Amino acid sequence: MAFEQELLALVPKLRRFARGLAQNAADADDLCQAALERALNSRAQWQVGTRLDSWMYRIMRNLWIDNRRAVQRRGTALDIDDAAMHIADDSHERMEAAMELGDVDRALARLPDEQREAVMLVLVEGYSYREAAELLDVPQGTLTSRLGRGREALMRELGEAA
Amino acid sequence: MTRFDSATIAAFVDGELDDLTARRIDAAIADDADLADAVMRERELRAKLSAHFDSVLDEPVPDRFAALLGGAAAAMAPTPAPSIDTSFAARLAAKKDVQARRFALPQWSAMAASLVVGLTVGGLALGGGGGAGRIDGGGALVASGGLADALDTQLASAQGAGPAVRVGLSFTDKSGAYCRTFESASLGGIACRDDGAWQLRQTVAGQGGADYRQASAGAIAESAAAMMAGAPLDAAQERAARDKGWSR
Repeated sequence: MAFEQELLALVPKLRRFARGLAQNAADADDLCQAALERALNSRAQWQVGTRLDSWMYRIMRNLWIDNRRAVQRRGTALDIDDAAMHIADDSHERMEAAMELGDVDRALARLPDEQREAVMLVLVEGYSYREAAELLDVPQGTLTSRLGRGREALMRELGEAA
Repeated sequence: MTRFDSATIAAFVDGELDDLTARRIDAAIADDADLADAVMRERELRAKLSAHFDSVLDEPVPDRFAALLGGAAAAMAPTPAPSIDTSFAARLAAKKDVQARRFALPQWSAMAASLVVGLTVGGLALGGGGGAGRIDGGGALVASGGLADALDTQLASAQGAGPAVRVGLSFTDKSGAYCRTFESASLGGIACRDDGAWQLRQTVAGQGGADYRQASAGAIAESAAAMMAGAPLDAAQERAARDKGWSR
């Protein structure tokens, strides 16, 4: 199958992963598009015979992390007077936006990024602990402890909401 | 009070535990209500998450992606309009399409309720809830207790004549999920692995007896044939998949 065809076959799952990271459909599809564009541009770096899906997920996740860090840096670069009136990162805006989301989206939005990505990769995308840890470039123990904290937080929130 | 910590229970539900520890937990569930509860809550969380996100998979791919990925997109259009082909293959494919939808369908609810309340599989009523199946947070029917155990661990090539639940074919469906056919005196069907649980895609219940067994086995085989991608797993592939906890 051509490279583009293989990527196209992955798009539904990529959109699903993006939806979990970004929490709204528009941002998720933008993330997905950015990831696919980067994949097309770095095609030479993918080794034929290795898993295309993990390569794509890693690209998307790294783009998302870069974006999150840029958002947080913008906050801390504000003038000191402004900083007194503004939130240093966008968690406040995220919480407000989260109020309009359904239960699961809201609960996910409240997770720190590192827990959310662990939950999405293992519990939704079905990666094994080893595969998810490799994708995120962390030790497996780090992955499982983030995953554990994420799922405990979700069970608390979703359990109450049920 | 449970002797297994939350990380171990999570690993159990995720299919990440070694076989021995997993079997110990499964045996312990019958006597340890806290453990059974913890396992059920983890399974429900997984089911809630997948129920929430799987709807994204069913959405048609937006044009922007097809456009980005070029003319090859035309060959990979989303599900086409119903075909007027009346051949057997087309009828099977249409039937598969119906069966592959999410399971919160009214016609399943009576079956689902009876499974949850107490329909057992050959007396194997272990595990939370007391039945062979339970409804997850998304309305799907998933195997529990002895049925889940059989699906997790039994090999068609090595199960002998003994077990109350017999597994039949193991195969991969068209979405890449592992599926297994199973049958017992009171219940048969097809279960597919989804996020740590065996979702019961088709179930056939009855009074038992030879005639019922033949009729239900045929219906199950026909559905399996419609669902599967490629050939069923051979004995070595089945063992390998089982040893990996039926994960990808």
